[in-house]
Amino acid sequence: MSAKRKRIWRNDLVALVFLLPFTVLYMVFTIYPVIQGLYMSLFKWGLMGKQDFIGADNYTRFLGDKFFWGALWNTTKFVLYSTPTIILMSLGLALLANRRSPLKRLYRAAYFTPNLLSVSVISFLAIYILQPYGMGFISNLLKTLGVQEEIFFLKDPQLVWVSIVGTTAWWTCGYNMMLYISALQDIPDQLYEAAAIDGASPSKQLWSITLPLLKPTTLLILLLQLIASFKVFAQIRLITNGGPGHATRPLIQYIYQAAFEKNRLGYAAAMSYALFLILVVLSLIQLKATREGDR
Amino acid sequence: MTNKKSIGGILLEIVSILCMVIILIPVVWMIAMSFKTEGQQISNTWQYFTPPYTLQNYVTIFQTSKVLTWMMNSLFVALIVTALVITISTMAAFALAKIRFRYSKFMYFFFLLGLMVPTEATIVPLFVTANRLGLIDTYLGLILPALAGSMNIIIMRAFFMGIPNDLIESATIDGANELHIFLQVILPLGRTVIVTIAIFTFIGNWNSYLWPYLAAMSEDLFTLPLGIPTFIGQYTQDKVLPMTINTIASVPIIIFFIVFEKQIVKGISLSGIKG
Repeated sequence: MSAKRKRIWRNDLVALVFLLPFTVLYMVFTIYPVIQGLYMSLFKWGLMGKQDFIGADNYTRFLGDKFFWGALWNTTKFVLYSTPTIILMSLGLALLANRRSPLKRLYRAAYFTPNLLSVSVISFLAIYILQPYGMGFISNLLKTLGVQEEIFFLKDPQLVWVSIVGTTAWWTCGYNMMLYISALQDIPDQLYEAAAIDGASPSKQLWSITLPLLKPTTLLILLLQLIASFKVFAQIRLITNGGPGHATRPLIQYIYQAAFEKNRLGYAAAMSYALFLILVVLSLIQLKATREGDR
Repeated sequence: MTNKKSIGGILLEIVSILCMVIILIPVVWMIAMSFKTEGQQISNTWQYFTPPYTLQNYVTIFQTSKVLTWMMNSLFVALIVTALVITISTMAAFALAKIRFRYSKFMYFFFLLGLMVPTEATIVPLFVTANRLGLIDTYLGLILPALAGSMNIIIMRAFFMGIPNDLIESATIDGANELHIFLQVILPLGRTVIVTIAIFTFIGNWNSYLWPYLAAMSEDLFTLPLGIPTFIGQYTQDKVLPMTINTIASVPIIIFFIVFEKQIVKGISLSGIKG
């Protein structure tokens, strides 16, 4: 009995040693900030620290702040535009790069390449490609082809979204394409062979075999994409800095500005919980979906 | 079906090549521009890609910017983070997967909780916490918060669970303790998942932006993603130097990809849950 008890204690101790380094960091930098943020959100809080206890004021204030809603709406717009674009493009690229072709590996590597570039690099590439007056690549190409019209990609409130979403899609599609390719490879060849014997055309096979079997992967990508898109910040900050006006400023940028430019950390912490809530709901759905997918 | 090269097949091949060209043009343009002379007038698009070429821009960049410092910082931070993530995550995942202890389930759910905490939504309190610990504007400040995500542990645990217990039991009978089992059974058998996570941790940290943007204040501590915008900020007119610094920042990671292509491709499908 006591030997058994000794073993239990020993196992606990060994487990503790193995778990300790990560657990400490996890508590300090992942869990504690959540609590600290809740606490801060109840105060008027500057960069120098705590000032006044104001209860739920920060929350009621941001709920009536039109810039908060504007920024949240911009983030939502980005999510709504980018998610279908990215899913369709990734699927298209995956289908192209999964065909029997001598250049298959090259296609995959090429389609994936932008994914490797740093967000700063892709942002400046976008800026330089989209510059007007023959300075940017597209403008120059149009001039070379004889088109005289100028397009102001980053000044027009509609086109600026096309530019941001286009850049993001170009940058991130490769990753989702790889997810699609691995799902495509899991579809047994016999299904296609049987369909071909029955005389189904390749496009019929695509609609009745490939696309239905890709549904779980599409769901996974959809959720990953929603979560990632609600966190959008860096490329918008670098390409448009939220402009023209505040037309593209995402929520994270507004939170950042409230905290580090306006010195209202408590207010920023409170607003963060709106984002937090959205992301928690999405990750719960994702967790549930992937678990069901595993079964 | 294979010997009948249909018109459809050829068309798809052309579409694939077109997509490849469109996707790669910005990257090729970036590299081509880095070899152009500053101030050259470009009258038609071809001239972006045709000679004369020069290496002067690279000389200028290395002489006038801190790009080497930033690159070393990126490399240093990414390597240290990767090494530490692998060390502490394999240890924790091993404990969760293979040591029978009380609170094992509890710890697992406690870590699962972390998957729902996005850094993006806790940057403000994270900054305050790091500031109190004196971590702002230090290497440690860039490194430590990057180690605290629980995703890797969840993935590794699932993978380690699949390692047969027989192997562990026979090692125990031979007198091995947990440390031996960890080093001699788990790590070798978990190679695939460890390499995959290492590669993704490295790429992710080499490119990470938001936290370093908050935590690094002085130019000497900047990583490449932070340094590039500060440098380019001074050159609004000519694209040649900005494109050179972009190229310098991109080439190492592209080479990294070419070297590890197989693992990266395999890794993406393996870690479908990675956000």
